[in-house]
Amino acid sequence: MSYYKKLKTDLKGAAAAGIITPDQADRAWEHAYSARTFASFKAAHWIAAIAGLFISLGIILVAAHNWDKIGEVAKMGAFLVLFTGVAEAVIRLEAKPAAAIPLETLWFFMPALGIGLYAQIFNLSGDPVKPYLVWAALSAPLALLSKRPLAAYLTSILLFAVLYWGTLGSTNMLSLTSGFKHAAQPLWHWALALSVLGAGFALFPGKMNSKPLGAAAIWLFFMLVTDTAIRVRSKALLLLAGMSLAVLWLTWGSGEKENAAAGLPLTVWTGAVYMMTFFWHWKPGSHNSYSGSDTELGAMITWAALAGALITLALRNQRLLPEGKTGDYIAKGLLAASILCAFLLFDASEGSAKILAVIANLILAAFGASCIIGGTSSSDEKLINRGVAVITITAVTRFVDVFGSLLTSGFGFIFTGLAFAALAYFINRGRKALIASVKK
Amino acid sequence: MSKLRIVLGLQLLFFTAWGGYLLSSKNSDTPEFYLETTPVDPRDLLSGTYVALRYEITSPKAANCLTLMNSALNLFVKLEDRGKTANTGQGPVKIYEAADCSVKEPYGQGWAKAKIQPAFTGAPTAGYGIEKFFLNEEDPRKDARSGTVLAKVKIDNRRRLVLLDLVKKI
Repeated sequence: MSYYKKLKTDLKGAAAAGIITPDQADRAWEHAYSARTFASFKAAHWIAAIAGLFISLGIILVAAHNWDKIGEVAKMGAFLVLFTGVAEAVIRLEAKPAAAIPLETLWFFMPALGIGLYAQIFNLSGDPVKPYLVWAALSAPLALLSKRPLAAYLTSILLFAVLYWGTLGSTNMLSLTSGFKHAAQPLWHWALALSVLGAGFALFPGKMNSKPLGAAAIWLFFMLVTDTAIRVRSKALLLLAGMSLAVLWLTWGSGEKENAAAGLPLTVWTGAVYMMTFFWHWKPGSHNSYSGSDTELGAMITWAALAGALITLALRNQRLLPEGKTGDYIAKGLLAASILCAFLLFDASEGSAKILAVIANLILAAFGASCIIGGTSSSDEKLINRGVAVITITAVTRFVDVFGSLLTSGFGFIFTGLAFAALAYFINRGRKALIASVKK
Repeated sequence: MSKLRIVLGLQLLFFTAWGGYLLSSKNSDTPEFYLETTPVDPRDLLSGTYVALRYEITSPKAANCLTLMNSALNLFVKLEDRGKTANTGQGPVKIYEAADCSVKEPYGQGWAKAKIQPAFTGAPTAGYGIEKFFLNEEDPRKDARSGTVLAKVKIDNRRRLVLLDLVKKI
């Protein structure tokens, strides 16, 4: 059943139940139906659109067949006419989203089409990143001036994609990784990369900065991990940087007033702590596949991230658990512990790595329990589910960790499967009971 | 005039100016010559099918080129006829080779601008902006084997190499 049919049925049902009057039901449906996509399109418009499509396809086929016979100026001229037509259509149809949105998308891609066409006509080659940066630069004014956020989203995504691709590469104007004993990349590459990062941030529409902030934090972490001028090789510094950045993202990832509903940053922080639990298996001298040593700049950035994360924890609202005096203390304590336990990796022994893993398990257990308790007291079903999920995943992982080596026979697998089935049953019963108690 | 029309105007101005620049480079009044190639065949995200080209001059071995390739980011490479020839459908043609390198822009003709690219393995290479030749899917040159084609090029007035054609050797 389509959305509009279901809406009509629901409105009729509401009118029959006396919640709204039949007149209100009719007017509500009319209002919703008239706002649907292509609402203003009549039969004649559809026929005209199909005619346009056929003509366009015909022109494309003729042009493709005779491509080598068409002159350079004619190709460029046709592109400029097409470009003008698309952009002019966007400007004229600005008030009609059904037409303007796809056309604006097309306008965004027109510079890329032009760059590709010119490259083909004149056999251009060179820096692989340059055309994408030129595309972003050409689209930036559209992103800033368009009434819709579409072009801004697309340009920002393009800039972040180019930032990752370019800086992690080694032979382009954005390259920051030197690698294989070659000299570090020139300083202006950093200036350009930071400009691209800044532009990606600035162009991202709205006040919701969680996504660009996360993309920037992950990019910075990649730059610390890979062989760049801010390379960090010490496990302790890397963990310190990673956890500090995760906490910074979680805390700054949206407006000051928003709390617990942190989404992706929360998942990343939880995932990072979960990964720390595997330090149980860590041995000194293992995982030394990367070459080089720590750089001063990398160490400074790591300490700055740590300081920033701790100051942020002290001064800003936490977004791990629902607000409240106890919740705030617990959440800030858990976040601080998740960062500070990285210090156990300085001159680490097998024993200190095991302590780190135990602390990470305790953080997850405390976080899961706090979610369940917080969810029960604030009637938040989602929070209860989150707490149950964290504790279950941690428990199952530890079970496999401890008893995994005993799974050497068919009976061992059957017993484990039955144990998991029982666990799933009881966890689900407990979860439902908690949610039911909240709803009473 | 709306702000979006100004945006459109700027975008069109860019493509018109760039097109004019590229046309003037291609039609510059400078001599055409041939370079030895080593093609492969990948795909380009923006521009369709092309033959990726490497040249003998990608690793110039003349005089001080080897030293400068390891220290400079940009170079000028002297290209000249040193007696090497190849047979094409239009008869024998002269193959130009790298004869000298310079960091400073030299006087005189035959010097092409190159950008030095560091390599993960082996020696750094010189890029001239003529490393791709775009062609149709049906064009038999798409499957050209290493060393079976020559690149017809010229040096424009700004000392940039312009790729004009890909010619089969016979």
